Amino acid sequence: MLISADREILQIIGVTLRMSFFSTTVSCLAGMPLGILITSIDFKGKRTIRKIINTLMGLPPVVAGLIVYMLFTKYGIFGSLGLLFTVEVMVIAQCLLIIPVVISLTSSVCSVNGKNLLETSKGLSFGKLKTMRLFLSQNKTALMSVMLTAFGRSIAEVGAVSIVGGNIQWKTRVMTTAIMLETNKGNFEFALALGMVLLLISFAVNIIASLFAKEEGQ
Amino acid sequence: MIKINNLKKLYGERTVLDIPLLEIKSGECVVLTGHNGSGKSTLLKILAGTVKENEGKAISEGKIYYLPQQSIPFNKSVKANILFCLDGKRKIKRELCDDVLNAFELKQFENKSAKTLSGGECQRLALARVLCRKGDIILLDEPSSAADNKGRALINELIKQYCEKTGCTLIMTTHTGEFPKISNLRIIELCDGKIKKDSMTGEINDA
Repeated sequence: MLISADREILQIIGVTLRMSFFSTTVSCLAGMPLGILITSIDFKGKRTIRKIINTLMGLPPVVAGLIVYMLFTKYGIFGSLGLLFTVEVMVIAQCLLIIPVVISLTSSVCSVNGKNLLETSKGLSFGKLKTMRLFLSQNKTALMSVMLTAFGRSIAEVGAVSIVGGNIQWKTRVMTTAIMLETNKGNFEFALALGMVLLLISFAVNIIASLFAKEEGQ
Repeated sequence: MIKINNLKKLYGERTVLDIPLLEIKSGECVVLTGHNGSGKSTLLKILAGTVKENEGKAISEGKIYYLPQQSIPFNKSVKANILFCLDGKRKIKRELCDDVLNAFELKQFENKSAKTLSGGECQRLALARVLCRKGDIILLDEPSSAADNKGRALINELIKQYCEKTGCTLIMTTHTGEFPKISNLRIIELCDGKIKKDSMTGEINDA
């Protein structure tokens, strides 16, 4: 089934990649600037916010899935949008899980040289946007690792996506939920093969990222 | 013009800066001297706005640019470091960048990564980044501490030329005892956060 590139498998891989791409992109676009802001700006309640973010890093995926499910269910606040059991809502649930991770890791990465870099930037009277650009360009390689971590968390996640996506065939079934289904059916060999494909995808993404990092280094 | 009134800065319970009154006129060039921990860098940081004072006020008029002691070279080429600090249209920026690179003797490194420069070259680049912004008040914290004798002389000469050309207000710190040979240079010696001596060049040996 895998070797013959079954249509359903290809569709599952497609949905997995689409979901992981969007959840990683949205999480990084939202989380990285917030991580930089937390490092570079002193404000009241900074410690509390850090604690909240660190707590959210440990948010169980099923709880995140449940929260998003309740928000998007027919009688939920966003029920009228009709997004439940779609890839879009799976992306939203994943963002809830990944954004705190990205914020926290970005903040750690930027705090290594953050104080001196911020002083240099302030000394040159750079605006907030230019300071942000500076932080991003100074920490490109480390931020690439943050992005890979986000992608890894997204592609391997199962709890939240199965709750809000419903594991619907030809629609919201992704690699992890397919593996879970096949395991429950007793198709261990096929589940293992799917797991191998998942690992291969992760490996390919890592190779591409390391090529980018190498280019940066040169 | 810079006016300091009852300025106090404490780190914990230790008073690192205590200046009751200090006025620096527009266009004046001031060198802050003193031993390590005398409060020179803290004073510059307060003027630059990177550190907040505990008491008093430091009022200044004009655009301030500040070169910290630990200025970081950006993760770009030497040329891109300068270009990143310049504002305006691309063509004008490129022309200005070439002038700056030539003036600071950095032209031969223009395509080299700034991270690969030596300590002295790095300081020259950091100084070039600050001076190319063309401010009214320039604050330099040990701008030549990592340079060798030749490098220090070059940096001091560049600072002198810049001050004479632009008429900016300059405040710089040093503990090497070498300063730019600017006429009417004001030298303020700090000791334990307080002003110990305030004199003009020529008077320093007598004070």
